[in-house]
Amino acid sequence: MKVFITGMGAMTSLGNSVDEMFTGLLENRTGVRAYPDWAQHKGLFSHLGAPAPDFDNMKIPRAARRSMSRMSEMATLATIQALQQADLPIDGKLNSQRILLCMGSTTGSPVILEVYFRKLFERGGPEGQLSTSFFKVMNHSVPANVAAALGFHGPLLSPSSACSTSSQAMILGWELIQSGFYDIVIAGGADELHYITAAIFDIVQAASRGYNDRPELSPRPFDRARDGLVVSEGASVVVLESEASMKKRGARATVEFCGGAYLCDGTHMSQSNASTMTEVMKLALTRSNRSAAELDYVNAHATGTTQGDNQEVAAIREVLGSKVPVSSLKGHFGHSLAACGALEVIASVKMMENGVLIPTRNLREIDPECEGVAHIQERREARVRTVLSNNFAFGGMNTSLLLSLHE
Amino acid sequence: MNNEQIVSQVNDLMHQGFEIPRDKLVPTATLFDDLGMDSLDAIDMLVHLEEKLNIKVEGERLKKVRTLTDIYGLVGEVAGPVNAANASSAILQPHSEQSH
Repeated sequence: MKVFITGMGAMTSLGNSVDEMFTGLLENRTGVRAYPDWAQHKGLFSHLGAPAPDFDNMKIPRAARRSMSRMSEMATLATIQALQQADLPIDGKLNSQRILLCMGSTTGSPVILEVYFRKLFERGGPEGQLSTSFFKVMNHSVPANVAAALGFHGPLLSPSSACSTSSQAMILGWELIQSGFYDIVIAGGADELHYITAAIFDIVQAASRGYNDRPELSPRPFDRARDGLVVSEGASVVVLESEASMKKRGARATVEFCGGAYLCDGTHMSQSNASTMTEVMKLALTRSNRSAAELDYVNAHATGTTQGDNQEVAAIREVLGSKVPVSSLKGHFGHSLAACGALEVIASVKMMENGVLIPTRNLREIDPECEGVAHIQERREARVRTVLSNNFAFGGMNTSLLLSLHE
Repeated sequence: MNNEQIVSQVNDLMHQGFEIPRDKLVPTATLFDDLGMDSLDAIDMLVHLEEKLNIKVEGERLKKVRTLTDIYGLVGEVAGPVNAANASSAILQPHSEQSH
């Protein structure tokens, strides 16, 4: 059974809609900015982040908004965008046991977690805690709040695997549509910017520290002068739909979600593993009934870390050889964690629709360790029919998925 | 804190923190039916009142509150003269999520 993408929504560091985001990519803009005030946090050396532009959260009724953190607000607005594109209702009528809401985040809101525990320790107990705080920090806060905002009372799942969260949500959605359980899966992820998130990567020396005074130059995936990732924020949501459901509704789609795979390393929490990356790409190709020769583009996860980028390039070389054009979008967006998988699918769909390939921003001098694949360093027009997109995460998570232009 | 101050402080909280239009804030308005609040809002309203007016209200007493008048009465009952000075200068900023 074929599965298509019938709706997309995005709140990103390049803009708070799919069109704004893609315009930013075409203009080679960056969402990264300096956070000099982060220097006050002892032991934090990365002072860069990529926030989403301010948005009007008052569009969400207070009854739903009161239990939302910023990430849930962004997820709600992105979901509304996706449903509107898919011509699905947003007025409380989206209720079917054949529709799955499947999205997650890395953790609950880090902003609220800080406030909650600061007060807890100061007071020596829960005195003064708001009743709504927990609903902002629980693990399924994002989809639960989206469901409440939409008045959706169907099936809900909340996969959480840090930076591969929305990739897993989409691939799981594809599996469940394939299995016949659902007609439609609303899949995605969201995370919000906070210095603690930067610190998580900084502690393991994976965050960019050397460009605090030149934010536009970092991150720089695959580049010889890269020094780590830059944390971002956002929400990205896609509507996956079976071909039968599409035809029944008269819905339209330009891109097929061909399939995907996820495998864990089972070895190390933070060190990437080219061997499993290789396996997951091969498995994604097999499950999608596609061959390496059909690929027109690889959207790499590459965040700008030394080891991660090296390992991914080694895996791409092994599976796909040196001819398929490759780029990473982290140089534009920063790393939006749970949102990045679906965000990069959405960006890939826009590249396919527009016949253009977006380069890796800040890739000036290719690291010798990252040579051997066809890096895209300038924007170019191209027929982009079949795309492979990778995402990896702490915990030894590896995901890969395929998209194909629907002709 | 006199009655006028109590009404002003409580109504400011209802308007700013719970986005209830001021014209709905009449003394006889019921929290749930007329003002659209629910049990979570009621609990958080109490937290905000306690923090900003420097008072302490037993949670059990909230169960008997039905109308704005009941809240004015409850605040007046527990806000003794010692707290009045703090309360009169307090600016209610509910939902700020900031700890002291």
